[in-house]
Amino acid sequence: MPSPIRILTAVPICDGHDSAINTINLEFIRHGIEVIYLGYHRSVGDIVRAAIQEDVRAIGISSYNGGHIEFFAAVVDLLRKKGADDIKVFGGGGGTITHDDAARMRRKGVDEIFFAGTSLDDMVKFVHQRYGKPRTRRPRPRSFDQELAHNLSKIEEAYGIGSRKRRTSNAQRPTQNRQKHRTSKVIGFTGPGGAGKTTLIDELALRFLHRNPKGRIAILSHDPSVVGEGALLGDRATMINSQDDRVFMRSMATRGQAGGLSPATHDCLASLAQSNFDYVIIETVGTGQEAMPFQKNGIVDSTVLVMNPDYGSRLQLQKIVMLDLADIVVVNKSDLQRARTAHTEIEQRLEQNHRDQQLVDTVAKRHRDSGVDRLFELISK
Amino acid sequence: MSKLGQVVESVENYNKFVLDQVKRARTDQKFGRDLLGRWNDTKAKIPVTRTPTGLLLPRLALPEIDEPGEIARFIFGEGLPGEFPYLNAAYPEMYLEPIREIESFDKNGDKTGKNLAQPEEPTRLFSGLMLAEDTNERFHYLTRHQRTHRLSTAFDGPTLYGLDSDADGVFGKIGEGGVAIDTVEDMVRLYDGFDLGSPNFSASMTISGPAPMIMAMYIAAAKRRFGPKVVPRLRGTVQADIFKEVQAQNETIFPIEPSLRFLTDMVEFTTREMPRWYPISISGYHIGEAGSTPVQQAAYTLSNGFAYAEMFAARGIPVDQFGPRLSFFLDCGLDAEYIALARVSRRIWAIGMRDVFGAGTRAQLFKLHTQTSGRSLIAAEFKNNLTRTAAELILSYMNATNSCHSNSADEPFTTPSEEWIRLAAHGQAILLEESGIFKHTMNMLSGSPGMKAVERAVEAAILDEFREIERLGGVLAAVEERYQRSQIQNAAHRYEQQIYDSTRPIIGLNKYRDGDEDAPEVKLVRTPRTKQQLQVDRLQKFKKKNADKAKRALDELATVAERGQNVFPALLEAAEVCSLGQITGSLQEVVGRFRPMV
Repeated sequence: MPSPIRILTAVPICDGHDSAINTINLEFIRHGIEVIYLGYHRSVGDIVRAAIQEDVRAIGISSYNGGHIEFFAAVVDLLRKKGADDIKVFGGGGGTITHDDAARMRRKGVDEIFFAGTSLDDMVKFVHQRYGKPRTRRPRPRSFDQELAHNLSKIEEAYGIGSRKRRTSNAQRPTQNRQKHRTSKVIGFTGPGGAGKTTLIDELALRFLHRNPKGRIAILSHDPSVVGEGALLGDRATMINSQDDRVFMRSMATRGQAGGLSPATHDCLASLAQSNFDYVIIETVGTGQEAMPFQKNGIVDSTVLVMNPDYGSRLQLQKIVMLDLADIVVVNKSDLQRARTAHTEIEQRLEQNHRDQQLVDTVAKRHRDSGVDRLFELISK
Repeated sequence: MSKLGQVVESVENYNKFVLDQVKRARTDQKFGRDLLGRWNDTKAKIPVTRTPTGLLLPRLALPEIDEPGEIARFIFGEGLPGEFPYLNAAYPEMYLEPIREIESFDKNGDKTGKNLAQPEEPTRLFSGLMLAEDTNERFHYLTRHQRTHRLSTAFDGPTLYGLDSDADGVFGKIGEGGVAIDTVEDMVRLYDGFDLGSPNFSASMTISGPAPMIMAMYIAAAKRRFGPKVVPRLRGTVQADIFKEVQAQNETIFPIEPSLRFLTDMVEFTTREMPRWYPISISGYHIGEAGSTPVQQAAYTLSNGFAYAEMFAARGIPVDQFGPRLSFFLDCGLDAEYIALARVSRRIWAIGMRDVFGAGTRAQLFKLHTQTSGRSLIAAEFKNNLTRTAAELILSYMNATNSCHSNSADEPFTTPSEEWIRLAAHGQAILLEESGIFKHTMNMLSGSPGMKAVERAVEAAILDEFREIERLGGVLAAVEERYQRSQIQNAAHRYEQQIYDSTRPIIGLNKYRDGDEDAPEVKLVRTPRTKQQLQVDRLQKFKKKNADKAKRALDELATVAERGQNVFPALLEAAEVCSLGQITGSLQEVVGRFRPMV
């Protein structure tokens, strides 16, 4: 079975109309498409950077606030300038984009504009027909990021859905003797869904960018595939600070694998770890109590477990395997009433392990949170 | 229990109180007799008016009841127009024609000598396009026949997001969907030729995320033209509704808590220094437009309002100082709830403000601006939109809205063009001035059995929503959990589904559709590139001219923000020499950017 089609969707800058795109995203993923959703109020630069890093087949733009002729054209032009014109552009804007506008936009290189009244079925059909065939001849990458992105695509495509590993000869194999080639520090983030992992990583990225004016980081983020279908990869919409030229971000769907990662994760992570980033951060999907996602990878240098203060009874803590394994445990949302109790209970739980595990309280949603500062220092050590 | 939980209790208690009064009126003879006497007095004092066809009508219609229990139910349960709990209207006369000496009569048919001042027209049309001078021209066009100048301003995307016109990638958005405002100089151009300090002028500005900055620019512009003494005389409204942005409209630029803090800073300043200004317009319109049900719209708007009241009171602003300066903005569509949505909202607000916040009379009033539903307008056979808007206007005035905007039929395609704006404005004039529906008699259409049934159902459903929000820990906690947002999105999805499977008939779209696709020939309003470039050039000139002063003002602003002091005085200084984008950037450095909820 071939890999799902990956597309990026976004709403242009100064436009908050996300109701249509939310509906369309859900329809796409129900029909086997993997959607990387960038969110609303997004600049041309953010959209093109994300599209190249994610190496999507196409960008779908939903615009309701005017200025669409300029905006779509700017996206097409920037893709071209970056040598990424095999990434196509389509979109719509209800009644705000007239037929005349659409004709002009097509002339400027936009594949298709959908008008008010187009059924969701027709849009899905369009994406499958137009972007469903495998890309055979890729243009020569013009930048480091583009080459890396192409390479990650090759790795991911070498794994079919639901099948075990297929041949990965074209893809870069992780080297056995990894220490020799390693230049990056790899940090794994895991924890239950809704604990705030994504926001926390984005806040750490912001601190990194401030601290290291020339450094670069990579983020490998995971979201679950809908059973037998596509996936909504929405972390970029939350990670506002990570939309930066010095951050290379890649979103992956789990494609049927349990445990919080994708079948291709190991190889992709190995490839990123050898690519001269200062840090590579890997984020699992929200995990259950028994999960230990980084065990077999062996590439991860240090692991962070992000907890929500609402984990249930004290007994539940005994069952969370990662509490034994994590190097750092974070109690996020520590402004919640439950957080003090959570801190005490987790502290006691960690003492049983007799390891030098760190416990940090954070409020990731708060700007300049001192807990996140402390976590950043621990990781930077 | 949060204040919202107390509001639920206060409404329940009030309803119990009404039932007790009904019972008492029937059992306590003296009480019943007094009520009946008061009722008869009230009726006797109602002036009579003569219609153009010669019919004599009372200026206020009351139910034909003479049983003390029913009288109690009306007086306490609904209230006369302008009386607690304000179900019928916030004010006694609303849209009535002023009594003209020559044609007004007292109950005996004798002429009365009373001569009332001309009231303000309730028509308020929303406008904003291209550059400040273009919108200014449109404002003059719109108000050329009006006694009072009530301008309502729409801003373009970059302004709504606190960005400058020369920000990366926004060029094509300059002047689209609203007017481009970067600096105090633009603000001067925007209202040029209008007397900002006059009692006949008021400006409304539809902007929330950057509202404190835009407000500061407005004050700075007024001072440039009329001197510092104009400030306490300024009349108008700035939307500044952060909650509904996070719940529905997505135009938020700072994280929620600092956004609310800057808002409170502004409210603290305006309620003290600008007694005629409305520093917040608590808006359900965008919640409705984002796809909520009518009940969700009213429930979230009211609960947001109570949350703001709680916040302002916590800052130490007296309720009778900020209460009268709160105003509301609702959507009016075609669903049955709209027959009484605003009536019920007015009642809940009054009871909550009086009994939970201890507000005096003026602070109990739910002062309402209504706009007909933009979402109900359809591109297919778009001229049908005139009928939709007309029906929505009737519903809006049946709810005794204090002011109203009627949408133009061409809005599914474009910023309204002058032809369709004129028809939209005339629609209001036809209802209020030409027809006899609203100008002769208050309560002309109130109190039908159907309307009462809707009132009961809507009130119960709103209180249920309040209970749910209370269970989640109050408005702010529910917002952070995305409760309202998810509910609205869910309702929007259901609405689209209903259109798609035709269980919700939309004439010309999924019903009675003619074979021919109607291709409207509407004149599109688009901002030419040359104008967009002009805006960028002007902005850059301004920045260059003020570079040194701007740096000092921004440093001072950042320091004040860092210390947690009220930023508004520093904003007033900054507005003189800084652009909107510079101010946004400086504050974002201190408090961070808004992280979208997805």
